[in-house]
Amino acid sequence: MTFEKKRIGIVCPYGWDTPGGVQAHIADLATYLMSQGHYVSVLAPTSDEENLPEYVVSAGKPISIPYNGAVARILFGPIAFARVRQWISQGEFDLLHLHEPAIPSISLLACFAAEGPMVGTFHASAKRQKAIFAIGPILEPVIEKLTARIAVSEAARETLTEHLETDAIVVPNGIYAKRLAGGKLKQEWSGNTIGFIGRFAEPRKGLAVLVSALGEITKSIPDLRIIVAGPGDSAEFLKEVPEEFRNRFTFLGRISEEEKADFLHSVGLYVAPNTGGESFGIILAEALAGGAAVVASDIPAFQALLGDGEYGSLFISEDSHSLARTVIDILKNDEKRDSLRTAGKLYAQSFDWDVVAERIYDVYEMAMVGLGKVVLSSESRGWNKFLGR
Amino acid sequence: MNFKSLLILFLIALFAWYLSFLATRLDRLHHRVETSWANLDSLLQRRAAIAIEIARSEIADPASSLLLTFAAHQAREASVKDRSQAETGLSGALGILLETSFSTGGDIEQELMQELGELNKKIKVAISLHVESVNRTQLIRSRWIIRTFRLAGSAPLPVTYEFEADVL
Repeated sequence: MTFEKKRIGIVCPYGWDTPGGVQAHIADLATYLMSQGHYVSVLAPTSDEENLPEYVVSAGKPISIPYNGAVARILFGPIAFARVRQWISQGEFDLLHLHEPAIPSISLLACFAAEGPMVGTFHASAKRQKAIFAIGPILEPVIEKLTARIAVSEAARETLTEHLETDAIVVPNGIYAKRLAGGKLKQEWSGNTIGFIGRFAEPRKGLAVLVSALGEITKSIPDLRIIVAGPGDSAEFLKEVPEEFRNRFTFLGRISEEEKADFLHSVGLYVAPNTGGESFGIILAEALAGGAAVVASDIPAFQALLGDGEYGSLFISEDSHSLARTVIDILKNDEKRDSLRTAGKLYAQSFDWDVVAERIYDVYEMAMVGLGKVVLSSESRGWNKFLGR
Repeated sequence: MNFKSLLILFLIALFAWYLSFLATRLDRLHHRVETSWANLDSLLQRRAAIAIEIARSEIADPASSLLLTFAAHQAREASVKDRSQAETGLSGALGILLETSFSTGGDIEQELMQELGELNKKIKVAISLHVESVNRTQLIRSRWIIRTFRLAGSAPLPVTYEFEADVL
């Protein structure tokens, strides 16, 4: 088969310098595409224009607004719009890949401004909101221009069908399964330990549920320890924890990819007590790939990812009693724990970038058929004339 | 009086712009239905060709070879109306073959199977893109404003093809 090099433009809606799932996903995807010989340019808001990877183009400084239970750093407005148009007309792209085009961001602006092969990836899942009914009619004609839509999970796909009456192809997020699988056992993290990775201070991550379950768990497992990795203020967090449990916590701060592999291989089990707002649960896929036994809340995204409990144990979300029982059950039962670990590790291979990126590229290929290059759309050209550009 | 007539003129102009905006949108959708169908059609043709090659190769025993050749020819010659049924038949025949054939044969056979696998993945994506564009077009065309002002012009209403992607 002849292999053509393509020029691909990716738009990231969130600030490039803030760590997040979407940004990480785009960076990995861009790296993969470039390793395949394609030309990739990523347009993203950034506050620090100096230390950018070569393939990232800055669209300006992002502003912080609350969105979907977290603070999103995004960008829009006339200046951003002008930059987006300029990037599109200069890039001569064969395909645009817009991430999260349904929120007010440069992705939406790019979708409005461009015409031609466009793929949109929807990451978020949100409950049916009243506001969406008002936005729907405005968004609809813009989203409609996407040639193909990708949802990262069934939950994200349902959100899309509910809000915008359009279907999407489900392609999960990618992880580096092989890299994560090579972790070494570290004594200080192993034993009766519970591991957690992420921004632990955020309420929707649900660590409070774990804290209130500690009383019950420590009755059965006296030497229990909790190891938390990820950015956040640990002193502030410990204030909320009852006195007698404070010395059971270890905070590692942010850890490297290599440490992550060791961490996941070593901990007794990995816990994800998230109370919602999660669409896919990339960290669970990583935990499985790293060979950890996983205990997670039964929110839809996790339920889907863990195959209804086949690859990890589920507990009733926000129910500390249920969490405690599940944790005890796994830490006391080595046989069950090991079988979960083996099954999970094997299953996580299907989220490997090699598999996922190829599926994304299949969608690219289908979207590019019969359409030329990406150009500024006729609506946008009209605007340009009107504004005398 | 003068102000009033200006306002009316402005509203009419706005409405006209809106109509042309809707027409552009619809035109884009029609165009997409055409291209997604052309793409899907070419992929299905290729699949039928591969199916015939497989039927002639050593993977297939005489019985399934016969079944496959028949299904492939039917899929190729089917009229637009019978197309989806014929293609589903071919999917089924290929599915049976893939499930039951254990001997993978030589290099050529393996190459064929690999090509078929890749093609199937693409067909799945192409089907979902086509179905989506058809649904979308039908949805937009059913709106009263589009019907009243005949914005669709003489373009035929796209027909839903019922592909069974699960069979692949």
